[in-house]
Amino acid sequence: MSWSEQGTELVDAIFGRRADPVQDLSDQADTVARTCHAMALRFHQGGTLIVFGNGGASTDAQHVAVEFVHPVIVGKRALPSLSLTADVATLTGVANRVGLSEVFAHQLRFISDPADIALGISADGECENVLRGLRYAHERGLLTVALTGGHGGRIARDPSIDHVIVARSDDPRVVKEVHVTAYHILWELVHVFFEHPGVLDEEVTA
Amino acid sequence: MRRDSAAEGTEAMESLYPFLYARDTDLNAVLDQVRQSTVDKSREITALRATVLDRDRSRLAECAEAVAAAFAAGGRLLAFGNGGSSTDSQDMASLFLSPSSGERPLPAFGLTNDIAVVTALSNDIGFDVVFARQIEAWGQRGDIAAGLSTSGNSANLLRAFDAARERGMVTIGISGYDGGKMAELDSIDYLFVVPSPSVHRIQEAQTTVYHALWELTHAALSWR
Repeated sequence: MSWSEQGTELVDAIFGRRADPVQDLSDQADTVARTCHAMALRFHQGGTLIVFGNGGASTDAQHVAVEFVHPVIVGKRALPSLSLTADVATLTGVANRVGLSEVFAHQLRFISDPADIALGISADGECENVLRGLRYAHERGLLTVALTGGHGGRIARDPSIDHVIVARSDDPRVVKEVHVTAYHILWELVHVFFEHPGVLDEEVTA
Repeated sequence: MRRDSAAEGTEAMESLYPFLYARDTDLNAVLDQVRQSTVDKSREITALRATVLDRDRSRLAECAEAVAAAFAAGGRLLAFGNGGSSTDSQDMASLFLSPSSGERPLPAFGLTNDIAVVTALSNDIGFDVVFARQIEAWGQRGDIAAGLSTSGNSANLLRAFDAARERGMVTIGISGYDGGKMAELDSIDYLFVVPSPSVHRIQEAQTTVYHALWELTHAALSWR
């Protein structure tokens, strides 16, 4: 078989692998909606969105932060967000002194406020440092949100996490793509709640 | 990190325009709207990926073969972009250099990785040269330049592609909308345009494009 035949067949297979996990995200629309509402409440109270992850997810953390701070849609307001992975000095410093599993918990301990939101991203749901960061955040009173993949991993089952969205695929690239769609949706739909300020009163419940 | 400006801003607007802020406590209605929007956006991205596949199936395979040939001859990948696309370009570079599932690591760098270099070039010369100057410093004949932009109009990408072409590099552009000014350049060997009016959907499909290129490159390396 020539490369052009083999290559184009593979392209079809690669693109085909994306459809079901995206449909699965669509099926989690209720979780997405409740997560957006909880995040909007925290922003309304003055909270900051703090994002973290390893490897490819570290770039997602930075993507989320820029999304909220510098909205691409004209007229949407800037919301406070920061990525823990942008601070390479602190990351490598803590990793070198204490170990990689403590990096995010350390940063959260000294940077976060109880009104904030902690968003941990882990493609397999097993990242120890993400889990420790989210557990610490929960103890401190932050809203905790996780984007995981595969079968959800330890992070998806941890009781310290308030909202979990799982990208159900064994391919880490597909998981990442579903995560990108998920955080784009979270960003855009958080703003829908700001258009209805009445629903941001604490006593309003669905 | 506590900031009260968001809440204060809403209150200030309410006192100015009370008629616009009649208490809307119908949380269920808003949740319904948000759920429906999630379903709609999921549908949009799946349809957009199908469009990209239809347009670029063969060119993705051709591009991957050229990238595989460049790596096989000792080439390196230099990836670049601004804002959200800078995170995608860093992700693309890291995917080649440090794949999470056991594939062979290949040499790759993100040109936004080093904030000292980016701010030095921006401050001393201008933001338009941040990628072109790094390509002039680093790039060699046979290397690969990959630039991502949703608009296709970023001046620093346009200059980078021209610099890469002068060096004899393989050039790959990933853009959105109608391709923007990147579509007018003759310095891009392989241009992939994601046709959507949404910046978000464009970025999501662009991620698929570079993920597909990575997977196809490994397949092409094994096929060689």
